[in-house]
Amino acid sequence: MSHSIRTNRNVMTKQADAANDSDAELRGDIIQIKDYNFFYDQNSQVLFNLNMEIPERKVTAFIGPSGCGKSTLLRNLNRMNDLIDGIRHEGDILIDGHSIYDPLLEVISLRKRIGMVFQKSNPFPKTIYENIVYSLRVAGRSKKSELDETVERSLKAAALWDEVKDRLNQSAFGLSGGQMQRLCIARAIANSPEILLMDEPCSALDPIATGKIEELIHELKKDYTIVIVTHNMQQAARVSDRTAFFYLGKLIEYNDTESIFMNPKNPQTEAYVSGRFG
Amino acid sequence: MQKPPLKAVPERFQVAARTLFFDKFMTGLIMIGGISIIVAVFFIFVFIGAKTLPLFRSADIEAKAVFALPDEAFIFLGIDEWREVPYFVSENADIYFVDLEMESKDYENRGTFRLPNNLPDDFVVSHISLNTITDEIRVGSEDGRFTIIDVNYRPTYPADTGRIIEPSLSILPILNIGREGHPILELRYGSRGNRRLAAAIQEVDGRTELHAVTLAQRRGLFAAGELTEDRRFDLTELMRDTPTQILISYEADSILVAYESGEVDYLFLTSTGFSLRQSFTPFEDSVEPGIVSMDFVLGDVSIVVTNSKGEMRVWSVYLDPDTSTRVFGHTKTFPALETPASYFSASRRNKAFLKGSENFASLRFMTTEDIRWEGTLPFNAVKGFITPRYDGMIFLDDSNHLHFWDLDDEHPIAGWTSYFRRIAYEGRQGEIYDWQSSGPVEFERKLSLVPLIIGTMKGTFYAMLVAVPIALLSAIYVSQFLRPSLKRVVKPTMEIMASLPSVVLGFFAALWLSPLISNAVPSVVLGITGLFAGALIIGIGWGRLPNHIRLRIPNGTEFIVVAIPAFVVGVMGWNLGVRIEDWLFLQYDADLEREVGSFRLWVVNTLGMDFETRNAFVVGFAMGFAVIPIIFTISEDALSNVPKSFQSGSLALGASRWQTAIRVILPTAAAGIFSALMIGFGRAIGETMIMVMATGNAVVQDFNPFTGMRTLSANIAVELSEAEKDGTLYRTLFLCAMILFLFTFTLNTIAEVLRQWLRKRFRAVE
Repeated sequence: MSHSIRTNRNVMTKQADAANDSDAELRGDIIQIKDYNFFYDQNSQVLFNLNMEIPERKVTAFIGPSGCGKSTLLRNLNRMNDLIDGIRHEGDILIDGHSIYDPLLEVISLRKRIGMVFQKSNPFPKTIYENIVYSLRVAGRSKKSELDETVERSLKAAALWDEVKDRLNQSAFGLSGGQMQRLCIARAIANSPEILLMDEPCSALDPIATGKIEELIHELKKDYTIVIVTHNMQQAARVSDRTAFFYLGKLIEYNDTESIFMNPKNPQTEAYVSGRFG
Repeated sequence: MQKPPLKAVPERFQVAARTLFFDKFMTGLIMIGGISIIVAVFFIFVFIGAKTLPLFRSADIEAKAVFALPDEAFIFLGIDEWREVPYFVSENADIYFVDLEMESKDYENRGTFRLPNNLPDDFVVSHISLNTITDEIRVGSEDGRFTIIDVNYRPTYPADTGRIIEPSLSILPILNIGREGHPILELRYGSRGNRRLAAAIQEVDGRTELHAVTLAQRRGLFAAGELTEDRRFDLTELMRDTPTQILISYEADSILVAYESGEVDYLFLTSTGFSLRQSFTPFEDSVEPGIVSMDFVLGDVSIVVTNSKGEMRVWSVYLDPDTSTRVFGHTKTFPALETPASYFSASRRNKAFLKGSENFASLRFMTTEDIRWEGTLPFNAVKGFITPRYDGMIFLDDSNHLHFWDLDDEHPIAGWTSYFRRIAYEGRQGEIYDWQSSGPVEFERKLSLVPLIIGTMKGTFYAMLVAVPIALLSAIYVSQFLRPSLKRVVKPTMEIMASLPSVVLGFFAALWLSPLISNAVPSVVLGITGLFAGALIIGIGWGRLPNHIRLRIPNGTEFIVVAIPAFVVGVMGWNLGVRIEDWLFLQYDADLEREVGSFRLWVVNTLGMDFETRNAFVVGFAMGFAVIPIIFTISEDALSNVPKSFQSGSLALGASRWQTAIRVILPTAAAGIFSALMIGFGRAIGETMIMVMATGNAVVQDFNPFTGMRTLSANIAVELSEAEKDGTLYRTLFLCAMILFLFTFTLNTIAEVLRQWLRKRFRAVE
């Protein structure tokens, strides 16, 4: 028993250290996926034997046709799929060298570490201000100056500050679609996570809003490791450093974005990126 | 410019006639359905309203007929209940009847006829008066004798075709009262069963004396024997002034004597004779304390007194808790009459009375201090009389005419005062709200709706107190925490609970739950506290549990970990309750003749509160069972319908599931939860069977959890069998229904407005 308590403390110390020396040199691959299989129930396997590493402070794009399992993999990274009854997995996912399935790891602390932006923007029915500070409030932090500072920092980082600074106490539902999605990004980074998962963040937006989000992703990768799922191949090409192509639950090809688009090694990849199926 | 003619539509683009027909047909059908529902609800509202409206009408009167009378000086009149054969009494006690032949026209009009009064020639009438309730004519003579002539009516059916009213007189033997040979000035008489009492004011050589006599009837073998004098009482000793009026109630056990000074003495008959029980002055604070008239209203419990200024007050008998005796107290003050009244007539159906003089008459209702009708008559009335069925009034005018008036006053007691104001009732001290709808005809009905409304609120309050926390917490748990596979079992089970007939719940509550709970209140309270405390302790312990144990317990099954210890602590609380009862609430039990631990006796003895076995505490639990499934189902739906994206969004930000439920899901579902509460509230207000069976149905006006209640709905159910169609009670029950209807209607309207506002405020983005 004493051993496990010590281990637990080590995990927490590690997390604290990671937050502190974020400016230290790049630690290479922050996410490692090893021999990973995932089943929704006994019979339907959706991910097959995945092995990949995702580098720190880079944008990694997951592409592939609908139903290829890219979103499922993304949602497994912060264990959002836990809500589904009957799921099962084999293999492991390591974040910063530590398994996310470690029974000693609190799933809440994992999710604090990994922010997430959803396909459909989902601001809470609260004010803009309260949306941003939600992650701080649920963590029990309520110092006014800290909250104010967080709101300003997050909104500035999400390039939304100038547009909403005068109406922080109005409902978040008064914002436009693009603004809402940027609010969700600001909300996701308010608690300073290390990794930001984006599940088709622009699929419901018009081209101008999409352009702003893409610009934002470009800015954010200075501080965050970003994993983005997208259907839009131009977008993958524009924003990502590395691209992974999935097909039928298998990782077909994973390489630098330039290589995937310019010089795909696999014929299926080539067919997909050139628009011949998908 | 003309449009170009339509080209023929190719068949494949044509719409089938069947499709068009069904579309139109179903649209119409649905519209008819919708409109009929609205019409039906509106109709129910109008129907109930129409049933209650007559309650608030005042009396209508209408002159019906005038008859000329034989040339005699009549001073009293009365009539039978069929309103056919009125009688008239002259100064020397001659009694005439007149066949009005208004109702049955099949018989020959008997015209005016006279029945013999059997008075001997030497009986010179010095006093004559009429009891308008019993039709007893009291006759006193110049030489100190008296008799009572009772007018009786009997309907006979001599042929198959109709009815004839046959009047008769039953005359008491002529008896002596007081000193022989001296004239009787006032005479009163009362009889009940074997008890008969007469009292007289007599003038003896210029002085007045007061005498009383009781009468006895020898019972023979085959028939009642002769009525003879039993005991004589000379009450002159007890007199404190010159008496002007006397009254004897039909109980025949007391005499009320009014003096010139305005004082009234209440003399009570015991085995040793009369003694003074109470002395009071009805117009003590008035400039004219002298009493002009003093009469009983129906029941002989209340007297209506007037003075020379026409002021009118009512004094009623009530039980004085200090002395445990029945004494008179001032209960009502009516508006003054314009002139001192000359006649009085009490209704035989209710507490109404007619009082008037000359061309002014006023029909008043004692209980509610209400003037049912008042006005100027087109003649000068010498006497007035309310017909026995309270459906007409007859007047004798100064030119020997009988005036027949119809009276339409179905619900004299009904009205705002009766339903919603405090009233000083006969026999009760102080002004109170009370409901006691039926009893003998002399009984004063108590129709206050206030205790029923309070009872409804009390029942609803305790029901919601139990139901809301349990239902809401379980809805949150099932929708946000329970594993979906378990939820598929739990939800339908709860919905089956909703369909449990309330009569079954009421049956359980009344026969099993109420004795159980009522005898173990501390155990129940501590048991429930224990459950919560247990859950709280586990909750605190949970956070401190080592991760490798805590994280092994799969999501959605933690309830086992919480439920078992919470249950154990709950049972401990229950047992502790028994100990505490033995320790803190030790009371002497008179039946067992030893000290026992009893919270129940403690509440009664120490707190001085009532404790009934079927009480609000029990009803709270039973009603909780009825209301919980409704609130649970609707709020669970509302919580489950919150978009999953809110839940994911919150969880992804590192919120726990409880934080997600409370901070995001609950506010978003607020509108739905609010509806659930309101529908539950509506069910609790209208719930009848449980209330009827488990509350004891006593009328209460407090929120004491250890007494029962009577709710509006239970009242309707309980009293319906007593209510005569279109009678006052019948319509009052409709009024109860109307109040319930308005209650829920208003609440639902407010709730809907609030719900819309909540929905706007916490609307999920589309």
